[in-house]
Amino acid sequence: MTAHPLVVDFLIPVLKIAAVILYPLVMVIVMIWMERRVVALIQGRLGPNRVGFEGILQPAADAFKLFFKEDIIPRQADRFLFNLSPVLVLVSSLLAFCFIPLGESFRIKGYTLTLWVAESPVGLLLVLGLSSIGVFGIIFGGWASNSKYPLMGALRSVVQILSYEIPLGMTVLTVIFFSRSIDLVAIVNHQKDARIWFGFLLPVSFVVFWISGIAETNRAPFDLPEAESELVAGYHTEYSGMKFAFFYIAEYAHMVLVSSLVVILFFGGWLPPFPNVAALAFLHRIPGFLWYLAKIMFFLYLYVWIRATLPRYRFDALIKLAWKWLIPLSALNLVAVAVLRYVL
Amino acid sequence: MAFKTIDLNMGPQHPSTHGVLRLRLAVDNELVLRVEPVLGYLHRGMEKLWESQTYVQAVPLTDRLDYLASLSNNLAYILAVEKLMGLEVPKRAQYIRVILAELQRLASHLAWLGFMANDIGAMSVLLYGFEAREGVLDVFEAYSGGRLTVHGMRIGGVPFDLDERVIGLVRRALDEIPRKVADIEGLLSQNRIWLHRTEGIGVLSAADAVAYGVTGPALRASGVAWDIRRDVPYSSYGDFDFAVPVFGHGDVYDRYLVRVEEIRQSLRIAGQALENLPPGDFRARVPRVLKIPPGEIFHSIEAPKGELGFYIRSDGSDKPERVKMRSPSFLNLQALELMCKENLFSDVVGILGSLDVVLGEVDK
Amino acid sequence: MTGLARFLKKFFLVDILRGLLITLRYYFSPKVTIQYPERVRELPPRYKGLLRLHLDAKGEPLCIACLACQRICPTHCFDIAGERVPQRKTLWPVRYDWKLERCTFCGLCVEICPTSAIRFSPEFRMTLLEKDKVRFHYPDMYLEGEELQKHLCGGCLE
Repeated sequence: MTAHPLVVDFLIPVLKIAAVILYPLVMVIVMIWMERRVVALIQGRLGPNRVGFEGILQPAADAFKLFFKEDIIPRQADRFLFNLSPVLVLVSSLLAFCFIPLGESFRIKGYTLTLWVAESPVGLLLVLGLSSIGVFGIIFGGWASNSKYPLMGALRSVVQILSYEIPLGMTVLTVIFFSRSIDLVAIVNHQKDARIWFGFLLPVSFVVFWISGIAETNRAPFDLPEAESELVAGYHTEYSGMKFAFFYIAEYAHMVLVSSLVVILFFGGWLPPFPNVAALAFLHRIPGFLWYLAKIMFFLYLYVWIRATLPRYRFDALIKLAWKWLIPLSALNLVAVAVLRYVL
Repeated sequence: MAFKTIDLNMGPQHPSTHGVLRLRLAVDNELVLRVEPVLGYLHRGMEKLWESQTYVQAVPLTDRLDYLASLSNNLAYILAVEKLMGLEVPKRAQYIRVILAELQRLASHLAWLGFMANDIGAMSVLLYGFEAREGVLDVFEAYSGGRLTVHGMRIGGVPFDLDERVIGLVRRALDEIPRKVADIEGLLSQNRIWLHRTEGIGVLSAADAVAYGVTGPALRASGVAWDIRRDVPYSSYGDFDFAVPVFGHGDVYDRYLVRVEEIRQSLRIAGQALENLPPGDFRARVPRVLKIPPGEIFHSIEAPKGELGFYIRSDGSDKPERVKMRSPSFLNLQALELMCKENLFSDVVGILGSLDVVLGEVDK
Repeated sequence: MTGLARFLKKFFLVDILRGLLITLRYYFSPKVTIQYPERVRELPPRYKGLLRLHLDAKGEPLCIACLACQRICPTHCFDIAGERVPQRKTLWPVRYDWKLERCTFCGLCVEICPTSAIRFSPEFRMTLLEKDKVRFHYPDMYLEGEELQKHLCGGCLE
């Protein structure tokens, strides 16, 4: 018995669209809380623990505060671009989530429910492309603020993001050599069939991808463009209230996106670990979605852990790191993997 | 919009200027051309105030000069007064002063370490440094009741003797600080990002350092082996065995290394003083109304920030005629422009941090 | 260290991993902060809290209005006057005004008081809701604990 066409054609897509907007937003809320708690715990203190159970309502308090702040637009600012840029940055981060698969599909009453909004044979390319639209938001924000500090901050952010896109792309290519497809679902399935995750097969690719991912999201130790203790305060200096909240949310959403990509490309997406060990077969009973969530949480924790530990790179060294080290390394890696793949 | 030469202003309110310091920078694209510190935002008229206060009343005010190292300010002023009077301080009091002064050096350097690392981005080191500093502040609190503005020394000696509680806290601090410092060093000293941000930055040559009157760790990092505790000993420093770290490059990294090594040496000195405390009085008798016959004196000590000196001129009454303070941070700040030239302006924060400037001292 | 060893250490991010392990250890260690106001840190006996006047065993003021504290205070916090009373040889304080906003908590007055009438207390809660409460008059100088809090700001919320 197939499901009612109204459900299949209307209700489920609507629910999926709601999910693709809510999922990153919920993750952002969790991320804000986790960042403050984990950084505090690393520093020997407790962090927010009064607002709600163990401080879980703290992001709500922050959002509430930002909601009521006065929305200031500088007099000389370009109003259209000024208002457009936070929207661009947020939408680009959220849109890419349409193509991220969250778990294996399962059958309910003869209907196969897929845990992704859309599956495309070029899913990976679309995700990378959509998330790059955010660069425009940054440029518009810096330019429209009509002030030298945000503009300089915006230019630096853009140079940083563009430079680190290259090793990102090249390491992804090494994964594609093995998976022979840029469909994200197919990549995960390939890791299932190969019974080894690409992160272990291609460790150099994983590390370079991870470092580039941190630089892409403007996080420590690559956060000079927006660091508080430096001179240039970054492209979002002139923003206040909800527009600033948009930039803030977009940054965290982008982090969740990069973590999702790392997990899907290199760590098996929704697959449970140790598929070859018969004694651990019970792990397969836990739904794939939960495995995916657990892995993402680990990488988000890694983001915060790295932020609390490492000092900040100066901007010129940041760019030097990309061009002198990561790009040659990823190029070499690409050639080596290509040769080994087709020779062995 | 041309970017040729921009005038930037690191205003008095800035998370990294360690107080209300205003820096006017002229920047050519990224290179710093000129740095002009604008001072006076914390000026409280201390030198004038001291002229209307008796010698005893002036001591609590000196707490508020370098507020991160208040006991050093107390010691500098009190030693100058005692030298002017020709007062002999009992040996036990001198040893207790050494313990307090070295603990204060620890506290000051740990606070500096935290702030410096935080400016460069390693935010956890700030908290670790302050947690270590808490051990020292607990000692001061048990000793005299104050944590920041301690007022732990008096003319003629120290206000209280060291009792069991204070000695126990000192021992605990001396035990726990090396562990925390080892952790901080593990996070910073060999870290490639830290090395990249501090090596070769803000170089000050030995000749320039001497010419500008730079003293303290910055001088020793430039290669000049001068430490007043060893070379012109005061308050029984000659009795103790300690090394004076000197490095040659004069960059930010060397200044960091000098201070970390000074932390270790301060632990040594305080340990030795504690073990060898002589018996006796902890305070010499000083007349209730202290009048000093006319004369003048300049006496300086090795404070955590550098050479801290007081010039006092007395006229026979119970109030000094003129007090002038030689503050190390004020003179070290002169060399800021020289050090920042030919560096990127992202480094200005790091260089300023490495100088360890406290505005209370600079502005008085 | 040979060049190869140094290169390998750089390539495998040894220094960064070392830093990460240190912070991970702190993540799992007990935290040093306490939850105020549910828990309050124990204060040492010499803690410099609010200055208080004290009475002797018979309930009479220890203060003899000798004005030593007024003379030695660096910031001129005191305004004291005493008068002769038949029951004792020393003066009885009739006016004892203390300005909290000027006090630097230096302790010179405590040291110099010949009868130990003025002493520090462990009171660090000095919030006021009205500006005139910052000036203490003679009877206010004896208040302590909850009565002091009621005088200053209406009492603690429990």
